[in-house]
Amino acid sequence: MDVFYQQLINGLSLGGIYALIALGYTMVYGIIELINFAHGDVYTLGTFFSLAILTGLGVSGEVHGLALVGVVLVTMLAAMLLCGITGVLIERLAYRRLRNAPRLAPLITAIGMSFILENVMQLWKGPSPISFPAVIPNPSFQAGGVEIAAKQILVIVLAIVMMVALQLFIRNTKMGKAMRATAQDRDAAQLMGININTTIAMTFLIGSALAGAAGFVSGVYYGTTWFFNGFEAGLKAFTAAVLGGIGNVAGAMLGGFLIGLVEAFATQYIPQGAQWTNVVVFSVLVLVLVFRPSGLLGEAVPEKV
Amino acid sequence: MRLGSALARLSAAGLIAALLAACSPSSTTTQSTSTSSAAPVAAAAGNVIKIGVELPLSGGDASNGIPTRNGVILAVEESNKTAIPGGFSYAVDDLDDAVQGKHDPALGAQNTKTFISDAAVLAMVGPFNSNVAKAEIPLTNDAQLTQISPSNTSNGLTQGDDGRKLRTSHPELNSFFRVCTTDDHQGAADAAFAKKLGFKAVFIVDDNETYGKGLADVFEAQFKKGGGTVLGHEHLNAGQTDFKALLTKAQNLRPDVVFFGGTTVSGGGLLRKQMGDSALKAVAYVGGDGISDDTFLKTAGTMANGSYYTVAAPETSKLASAKTFVANYKKRFGVDVGPYSANAYTAAMIEIAAINKAITVAGNKMPARVDVTKGVAATKGFVSPIGTVGFDANGDTTAPILSLYKISGGKAVFVDQVNLKT
Amino acid sequence: MNPAVRRSLRFVPLLLLPLVPLVDHNNSHIDFLANAGAFILLALGLNIVVGFAGLLDLGYAAFFAIGSYSYAMLASQQFGIHVPFWVMLFAASGIAAIFGILLGAPTLRLRGDYLAIVTLGFGEIVPQTFLNLSQYTNGPNGISSLDSPSLFGHRFGFSATPYFYVMLGLIVIGVLLASNLQNSRLGRAWMAIREDELAARHMGINTTAAKLSAFALGASFSGLAGVAYAAKLDLVSPDQFQFNVSVLVLSMLVLGGMGNIPGVIVGSFALSFINSFLLPQSTNLVHSIGLTWIDFTDYRFMLYGVILVAMMLFRPEGLIPSRQRRAELREALTDPGISAQEQTEYEGAAR
Repeated sequence: MDVFYQQLINGLSLGGIYALIALGYTMVYGIIELINFAHGDVYTLGTFFSLAILTGLGVSGEVHGLALVGVVLVTMLAAMLLCGITGVLIERLAYRRLRNAPRLAPLITAIGMSFILENVMQLWKGPSPISFPAVIPNPSFQAGGVEIAAKQILVIVLAIVMMVALQLFIRNTKMGKAMRATAQDRDAAQLMGININTTIAMTFLIGSALAGAAGFVSGVYYGTTWFFNGFEAGLKAFTAAVLGGIGNVAGAMLGGFLIGLVEAFATQYIPQGAQWTNVVVFSVLVLVLVFRPSGLLGEAVPEKV
Repeated sequence: MRLGSALARLSAAGLIAALLAACSPSSTTTQSTSTSSAAPVAAAAGNVIKIGVELPLSGGDASNGIPTRNGVILAVEESNKTAIPGGFSYAVDDLDDAVQGKHDPALGAQNTKTFISDAAVLAMVGPFNSNVAKAEIPLTNDAQLTQISPSNTSNGLTQGDDGRKLRTSHPELNSFFRVCTTDDHQGAADAAFAKKLGFKAVFIVDDNETYGKGLADVFEAQFKKGGGTVLGHEHLNAGQTDFKALLTKAQNLRPDVVFFGGTTVSGGGLLRKQMGDSALKAVAYVGGDGISDDTFLKTAGTMANGSYYTVAAPETSKLASAKTFVANYKKRFGVDVGPYSANAYTAAMIEIAAINKAITVAGNKMPARVDVTKGVAATKGFVSPIGTVGFDANGDTTAPILSLYKISGGKAVFVDQVNLKT
Repeated sequence: MNPAVRRSLRFVPLLLLPLVPLVDHNNSHIDFLANAGAFILLALGLNIVVGFAGLLDLGYAAFFAIGSYSYAMLASQQFGIHVPFWVMLFAASGIAAIFGILLGAPTLRLRGDYLAIVTLGFGEIVPQTFLNLSQYTNGPNGISSLDSPSLFGHRFGFSATPYFYVMLGLIVIGVLLASNLQNSRLGRAWMAIREDELAARHMGINTTAAKLSAFALGASFSGLAGVAYAAKLDLVSPDQFQFNVSVLVLSMLVLGGMGNIPGVIVGSFALSFINSFLLPQSTNLVHSIGLTWIDFTDYRFMLYGVILVAMMLFRPEGLIPSRQRRAELREALTDPGISAQEQTEYEGAAR
């Protein structure tokens, strides 16, 4: 039974990273119905920015005490800001003009942006994986036969905190309300006096900032990064967002954790399971969508005639 | 919509593009110290001899291809500084076989045909991946164009029925060679070492790619044969970065060693690092030459200690020429060598030596490809940064010695070597 | 010039294409054209699913894999079965069509991007399964030494030329098929579903049958392409059928002009040209005009991305969009200068 709980922790921490990335995906999709393929690469960019900042601060191993808090806050916030700005720039340069174009055009543009970002990162830090400083000490805690590392707790907690913060923002602030309105009916929102351009830009800012946070956390958690990381993670995160119900913030987090759990349990309980995790994840996705076409927490929007 | 005009537009477009393709030059010259004028197709321009390089150079596979290509570039640049008979000079002609970041056998075959139709290309280095090689070997065999791979370890490329089937046009003269050892040698040596080091129960992981899986399969078979127990054999997913679930599964089975088939980039480094966060902290780690690079030390961090790997070279390969190569590479490119850079360098050097000889024999004129191939096939005792290299009748390296290294104190320490009689 | 003569002049390029291999002796060019031909077939097939029926399919490479692996398993030493190439063309397109129905069935109730992600999932599941079932598929090594096709006793061998002609023939058949489908009742059903599925259903169209037909027919094209491509390459391996291939074919459609057959062909060819000719040779082309210090090697990926973004920013409807054609036709209807016969023809096509 110990193995079960251990894999539970493993799955939740893996899922936490997916959840963080999925939050940004779902936000952008909710508002302009664009599958932003470049989002996974903004996540990797977040790791790269964090690395640059840490190098600038002279951090190369673990940091302790009060300095730790300072380093983490500065690096994460700076990475989030830089990623947010990147996201806004991408939207301004590549997606804005295509808001009324046939649906697939912004999709292809997003893919193109993804390639561009990947190549930029390849030129920046080279084609091979690079190491990331540990930053946070990683003591393990024993809890009834199960070993939990401090970093695993960090990832899980951060995902939940970010989701809650985002949910509060969307529900209680004026900008959040503007975002919900724009997502519901863009033209009506505009008629009500909402500045669509600003709202969408804000969405990208926040979504990309979340990806930046995910990037920082991923660097700290795995201790390594690579320019091509974002591709696979982005794909899984988008799956998570769809699984939870696209456009639904809590759903994105739920979807992320669920996918992490499915991967961990598939690895453990299926013979030679490690190679089948992707197949299982996508099969779960198909099954869920067959029985609940709008995702786990998505609203079944009735089709208006 | 009218069918006729659809077909008409199709053919017009096709014709225009075909004309465009026919008019564009067919080979590239990059990073060369001498420039070549625009070479019309199928005519050698002046006295430039090109070494064709066929590797994945963009996207995710670039981490494999670029350091490897750089080995060839270094070899060509160094050679150009020496006196070359006939007043020729060498240039690197690199073509990328990655489509959208992934190596593609069809593009590899197409690139090979491009090299074949360029008379200035007298030899090829590549490809990186064994499945691309399968598409290319019949072509280079047909054209008798020398092809040396720095990294294809799959036995079926040169040996047995599979190997014979690939040499369809010229079964009598092999034109595909490799400077890396084959899976059966390395896998067997790894199993023998593991047994010697006293390990009895192994958990095997591989990256499900041709090199990694090939190596791991041989290791499994040989380890069992030697009386050991294989507790599990799992395959990773491409691009996987989180191995905690897999390690939890493994630690439950209580192995005394973990074997990894694959490279640092495909999971070897991260897997080892994450072992440090699991109950397998103190368990040993064994791999092949895919984790023999410095990137492994960096990625695995402190957990690199306690890892073992094998390389197909004698211990004295930490000899002057290897050290010189590593230093020169760092100076030229500003980064550390990749695991196959030295192999590619050696492959290019062997080809250049054979071409130089053939030029002299041809009276200081451009030699024929088949003469270069014969010269390469006859290579024996070639001194290089990866040891002494020679080829057998199948094109496999005759280097019989495999060395085992252990990483301790952040450095590789020689442990043992085995001499496999071929 | 006499309009009849002008119209028949359009067929001249079609007659000239088969002469290309006789003029251009560089086999790597023919090789490229044959490979590009396979992708044109793929694009035509995906066009049925995405362009005609409006079903966003992000995992089309799965069917390409099924087509190719069918050939590898039924026409090689792998299981000792040797179905002839020409029979396999039919068989594989049938097998792929069946899988089209199987993989399309779960998506019937899904809308828009949910459908997309499920197809993407299948696009991941299929090649991963081929990779993992290594006792049947040789895993990452793939299956090689496939049977070489032969026509009237003449074996195909290494030269790309016979494959070029096969591809050309398959494309002509494909264009005929797609074109007829587009103008048939099924094609109009697809158009209705694409525009408004609910309304279509209420007009009495069997949307389930229509959607499944779209998947099946689209997949059958990739069955054809898969067989020809595998036979030509003499190899199949799982990493030839990943997500990047699905994205590539989709990009070809969008670039060329979705739903419009000439557009799809042009878009497909353009991207093949860029991907396996222009970009790899970019450094050389630049050198040949004298700018020898430029080296594009490290920028290839970025250049490709820039091209995609630029083409979408400047022409998101594609190179040869289908709406434009309809607009042209509408203009023609109001132009008094056309003959009564042409008027009838135009009206028929516009409907």
